[in-house]
Amino acid sequence: MENLALLTIILPFVGAVWVGLVKNESLFPKLAVVFAALATVGALCVAQQWHSAAVAVLHYPLIRFGNTEIFGVTFDAVSTLIGFAVVGLGLLIVLYSNGYLTVKNKEHAHAPLPRFYAFLLVFIGAMAGVVYSSTLLGQLLFFEITGACSWALISYYQTPKAQSSAMKALIITHIGAIGLYLAAAFLFSKAGTFEITALERLDPASKTVVLFGVLFAAWGKSAQFPMQIWLPNAMEAPTPVSAYLHAASMVKVGVYIFARAVMSAGEVPEIVGEVGLIMAMLTLVYGFVMYLPQTDLKRLLAYSTITQLAYIFIGLSLFALGSKLALVAAVAYIFNHAFAKSLFFLVAGSLAYATGTRSMPRLQGVIQKMPLVGVGFGIAALAIAGVPPFNGFFSKFPLFAAGFELGKSQGWITAMMIIALMESVATFVWLLYKFGQCVLGKPSEDVVNAQPLTFSMNLVLVILMVMSVCSAFIAAYWLETPWLTQL
Amino acid sequence: MSTVNWLIAALSVYVIGAFVSLCFSRREQVSVNIAGVSGMIGGALGIAAVAPVLVSNETAFALFQTPFAFAPYSIRIDGLAAFMVCVISLLVIVTSLYSFAYVREYKGKGAGSMGFFMNLFIASMIALVTADNAFFFLVFFEMMSLASYFLVLTEQDENATNAGLLYFFIAHAGSVLIMIAFFIFYCYAGSFEFSAFRQTELSPALSFTVFILAFLGFGAKAGMIPLHGWLPKAHPAAPSHASALMSGVMVKIGIFGIIKVGIDLLGAENLWFGVIVLAFGAVSSVLGVLYALAEHDIKRLLAYHTVENVGIIMMGVGVGMIGIAVKNPVLAVVGLLGGLYHLLNHAVFKGLLFLGAGSIMYRLHTKDMDKMGGLSKLMPYTALTFLIGTMAISALPPFNGFVSEWFTYQSLFGLSQHGNIVLKIAGPAAIIMLALTGALAALCFVKVYGISFGGAPRSEVAANAREVPLPMVVAMALLAILCVLLGIVASVVTPIIAGISTALSGAESFALAENGIVVSDSAPYTALSMPMITIMLIAFIAVPFAYYAMTKGHRLADRAKGNPWACGYAYESDMAISAGGFTRPLRIMFKPLYTIRKTFDPVPLGQKAINGAIKGATEAEPFWEEKVTMPIARFIPWIADRIRWLQGGDFRVYCLYFVIALVALLAVAATM
Amino acid sequence: MIHLPAEVATSGGMFFLGIVQALILLLLAPLFSGISRFIRARIQSRRGAGILQDYRDIAKLMTRQNILPDNAGLVSKVMPYVLIGSVSVVAMSLPLFVLASPFGAGGDLITAIYLFALFRFFFSIAGLDSNSTFSGLGASREVTLGVLAEPILMLSLLVIALIAGSTNFGVMSAVLGTQTWSYPVATAVALIAAAFAVFIEMGKIPFDLAEAEQELQEGPLTEYSGPALALIKIGLSLKSMVVVAIVAAVLLPFGAAREYSLSAVVFGAVFFFLKLLIIYILACVFENTLARTRFMMAGHLTVVGFGISILAFMFYVIGM
Repeated sequence: MENLALLTIILPFVGAVWVGLVKNESLFPKLAVVFAALATVGALCVAQQWHSAAVAVLHYPLIRFGNTEIFGVTFDAVSTLIGFAVVGLGLLIVLYSNGYLTVKNKEHAHAPLPRFYAFLLVFIGAMAGVVYSSTLLGQLLFFEITGACSWALISYYQTPKAQSSAMKALIITHIGAIGLYLAAAFLFSKAGTFEITALERLDPASKTVVLFGVLFAAWGKSAQFPMQIWLPNAMEAPTPVSAYLHAASMVKVGVYIFARAVMSAGEVPEIVGEVGLIMAMLTLVYGFVMYLPQTDLKRLLAYSTITQLAYIFIGLSLFALGSKLALVAAVAYIFNHAFAKSLFFLVAGSLAYATGTRSMPRLQGVIQKMPLVGVGFGIAALAIAGVPPFNGFFSKFPLFAAGFELGKSQGWITAMMIIALMESVATFVWLLYKFGQCVLGKPSEDVVNAQPLTFSMNLVLVILMVMSVCSAFIAAYWLETPWLTQL
Repeated sequence: MSTVNWLIAALSVYVIGAFVSLCFSRREQVSVNIAGVSGMIGGALGIAAVAPVLVSNETAFALFQTPFAFAPYSIRIDGLAAFMVCVISLLVIVTSLYSFAYVREYKGKGAGSMGFFMNLFIASMIALVTADNAFFFLVFFEMMSLASYFLVLTEQDENATNAGLLYFFIAHAGSVLIMIAFFIFYCYAGSFEFSAFRQTELSPALSFTVFILAFLGFGAKAGMIPLHGWLPKAHPAAPSHASALMSGVMVKIGIFGIIKVGIDLLGAENLWFGVIVLAFGAVSSVLGVLYALAEHDIKRLLAYHTVENVGIIMMGVGVGMIGIAVKNPVLAVVGLLGGLYHLLNHAVFKGLLFLGAGSIMYRLHTKDMDKMGGLSKLMPYTALTFLIGTMAISALPPFNGFVSEWFTYQSLFGLSQHGNIVLKIAGPAAIIMLALTGALAALCFVKVYGISFGGAPRSEVAANAREVPLPMVVAMALLAILCVLLGIVASVVTPIIAGISTALSGAESFALAENGIVVSDSAPYTALSMPMITIMLIAFIAVPFAYYAMTKGHRLADRAKGNPWACGYAYESDMAISAGGFTRPLRIMFKPLYTIRKTFDPVPLGQKAINGAIKGATEAEPFWEEKVTMPIARFIPWIADRIRWLQGGDFRVYCLYFVIALVALLAVAATM
Repeated sequence: MIHLPAEVATSGGMFFLGIVQALILLLLAPLFSGISRFIRARIQSRRGAGILQDYRDIAKLMTRQNILPDNAGLVSKVMPYVLIGSVSVVAMSLPLFVLASPFGAGGDLITAIYLFALFRFFFSIAGLDSNSTFSGLGASREVTLGVLAEPILMLSLLVIALIAGSTNFGVMSAVLGTQTWSYPVATAVALIAAAFAVFIEMGKIPFDLAEAEQELQEGPLTEYSGPALALIKIGLSLKSMVVVAIVAAVLLPFGAAREYSLSAVVFGAVFFFLKLLIIYILACVFENTLARTRFMMAGHLTVVGFGISILAFMFYVIGM
């Protein structure tokens, strides 16, 4: 089974090299789709094999020197679920890019280049690596690879603004990576191995150091306060890149490594949870306030990603403070948000492709001319805002339930939850307001002149819309199978 | 088939009907027909499901596992839930019948998707009242708001968009408050099941907090003052049969929630619960009808009347809760009886009035009463059923509105007799406010009927009106017949509803109706016989008519010709009084209450706050970039510049660096 | 089994009595409106028509043609009958001759007030239906006056009901008639307030605003003629009588029969009509000492009445 996982990780790298070398414009996009599909099948098989093995955690060390494990793979409910999500979304994004990255694109008419698909495939492979990795060193390796790929992909259009945004993203996430370097080194010095599960054996003070290191890296990668500035500017990237990196995968690296760390740490020192919660609340409020001036749809979505990730951090911090329900909520949130936010970004991309603009004042009455995109906008907005039957609610609810449960003994947590609930309602109102502005009413001039989308783009939108309803149930089923022992 | 199975069948019919009608959304008439038929079948199945529960008062349970470990899907159909399902199904059958013809009005403007949202709206309401788990309760509550939001958006103009935004915002904020209340329960109960909530004992302070949160949340849904702002905007924007459902049943979900949390889950042991409900109810009823008077848009007027009637229902429920708290079974039973009976009656006559308004709009394409007029000749069936509806809502005997208001009055009278000093004053105060409400409502509906249907047509469109298609007429007639029936056979309906209120309050049952007579106490001091009053009314109407008929031979035939007297001037149509003019004296007399509305209107304040926030955020956004990132980014090259002199380019200086470093290291090694 | 109190339970004989008393009042309605005309004429130093003039008027009107404007609908045609019908049902259930309600299940205070509301409703709607300027204005005034007057009537009678322990007229009259007044001051003040409300409901100056002859050409009556007008006149007069009857029979139940023998009932009837006549004449004389007022000032007057009834309620709460 570990070979299957290795294959899932390595295959996209191989594909990247191959795709990078092909020059035929009509061939390499489809080739990229094939490799991404193969990787997705691999992730699915890994998940299915783990499920049929009926054991909570499966761990296979791959490279070790004596007692020191350098690199290995871990399969449990969380890693198989998230692994499937990131790789599957990678496939959808590659498929979407086939239609989007062409000269017909009204916003960025640009002939497709092989390096785009190559870097994207490398990214998919690196993501699978981060998710399945069982050591801090492995996580660190793929963490930095994703950083490099993001630099390449954000600056794809090669304009000065894109290049400076890409540089900013790279540098800030790399600064975050210092935390992970420190954590890995400290863990090795105290436990003699890089395995994340070794955290359990450390004394509380060392645990705190390692966890704070991971937390710092997570903040950097997930664009939390104080390292949030790179994400809004990274919107210079082509929209499929934004959808994948900045909704589904790269920003999820941060929350994922933090989730892994607190899951494997046994008794987590309270200070970690408290700091995590307070910083997440700050990010939440700041992110919301920054919604208000935005007229560019993608920048709005960037800030929305920042706030949604803050929610996930809240959930993980609540787990660190003692609530098991919060972990289930946070992981489900990761899964659900990936689909919903990708849908939202791809809707923005479709609007840009068809009309040439993503400025919201210029986009009105979308539902009349492009009903699928309009419906997608609505579904995505409602899913992010947390309205059932869409997936967002089913992860927000247990998160708040966990918070209130903890708040019974610690009043300040209840206060935090109330602030978060207020922000949730405010986000809901704002997104609904934008929905009313952009989707309803009489079509504006830009919308009237919109061109139709390609089949691949429509297909991906539909798949994501379906997932925005179903993913909550999939996540709940996967994370709460009865024989799964609680951590 | 058991109750639960019928219920699931009904839900399935609604959901399947919704999706099938969506598939045919391009062929609009087919889509409408499918949605209408599935609505009617679902409604019939719903009534079949709950009829045994209403008659025998036995509760039905079911439990289904879901992927969510913390929330199995549990169903509980007790008397209250059965009653709500019955009311919903009744109105759904009628509005589905109405929609066959009415939706033609929306051809090309979204008629194809209307059936989808309607059916999902209805299904979520029915699932909501029967859910016994807090999680699923909230899921269906939000889905109900979501589906009706899209119905409000049907016209897709700016008005509808703003109305929808305000509506969904308040509904969502309300559901968040309810969610917090349920979370507090969850902390102490350990699970989300309502059965666990019922067993949990909360401290008085927590119990009060939970009640207030739930009261505000459900009250926002019910449209009580001061959380009513969305009602007059949202209900007129939706298509009329959707407005009928929203006014007729959706706001009742709010009342249902207050009863569920206050009485069923919390036990209503605190006297203040009932007093708060009573107070808000009384204020809502008076202010609601007062604001209705100022309207000349017929649907906005009806929306404000919903606020008024919700207030009246809340008064009855409030008395019931007070009765439970002071352990007076008569008060508890009769108060809740009045509230629930009025809930049913209001659904029927408000549905009828909205359908009537829809019929007017179908022919005239206007909501402005000042453009109507003379319709009683041109649309006779609509006029007759609308007249019955206005008489019912003004609580005139022998219609249903009178019976439920009678019970409410009697329960308030009972409150004034059995209580401490607060209740002794609160009871008569509420009675006077109810009387005032009744008089104002009569005024308002005289205006509505008189201006819309009476007199002469005031515009071209009114003059060209004709009767509406058969399905719409039949739907309105059905509701009108129900208005009459629910009034006359009050003695049959009363025991059923009394059974529900007895079960809710945990009291011993006592007889409230016999042989056509209803009473309001276990030791009755007064009685009401609707059948006899109806017969005597008809008899005493017949007496003068007989006299008139007897003398017919002595005079010329009746004549209806010519203009009204205008003091010798040539009569013109616009000499007649207008809608605004009719109510002007009253509005001047009650001016302070109208200015409250303007002073406390939160919208301008909210606008200013939002604009200020946007401006602030716009100025703050570049802050991080300019003040933190850029200085750091500029700092590095600055440092680099400062130490550049170290690399002057002279190779000999670099050799000197080597020597210095070597010497330093040797010195360190020597001292170690 | 429901056990109704004796004053509320209806037997066949009592029911028949109720119908009889309603018909008697119906027949006497023109007499009383004639008395009102007579008193007004004499006070205004005119001879006036005789007391029986209204009978003659009605007889003549029944031979005239029934004319309505062409846009009048069903409501206008039905209005005169509904007026008489609704008030007759109230008349039937009042404890006029005996200390019990002949039609107990219709003799509730709330029922009576809402039957009067039915009266007012149809009166006003018909005013709007004919599309005449004057009748529309009259209708507007009628319903506005109803809003101002109903709370006074409701509150004053409610105080009596609270004292008697029941909202049924039969019980109220029995308690006031047979037992010593346990809240004497409250009862007395409530009586005054009720009299005030009744004065308004009778449509006496300054409250005849709906039919203000000098201003509105008889308001909603403008467009009626012939038999319909006759019936409306009967209906309006019947209403004044019934409203006074509430005060005379319920609040001042002296002389009403306690047992149900024929002689007692006849005696009670005579006493009742005496009381009715005296109060009616007093009201008419009082009316003619007052001047008409502006409609918008009516609110200032009714507020006084409402204040008196609140005073009565306060006395009840204190226990006096």
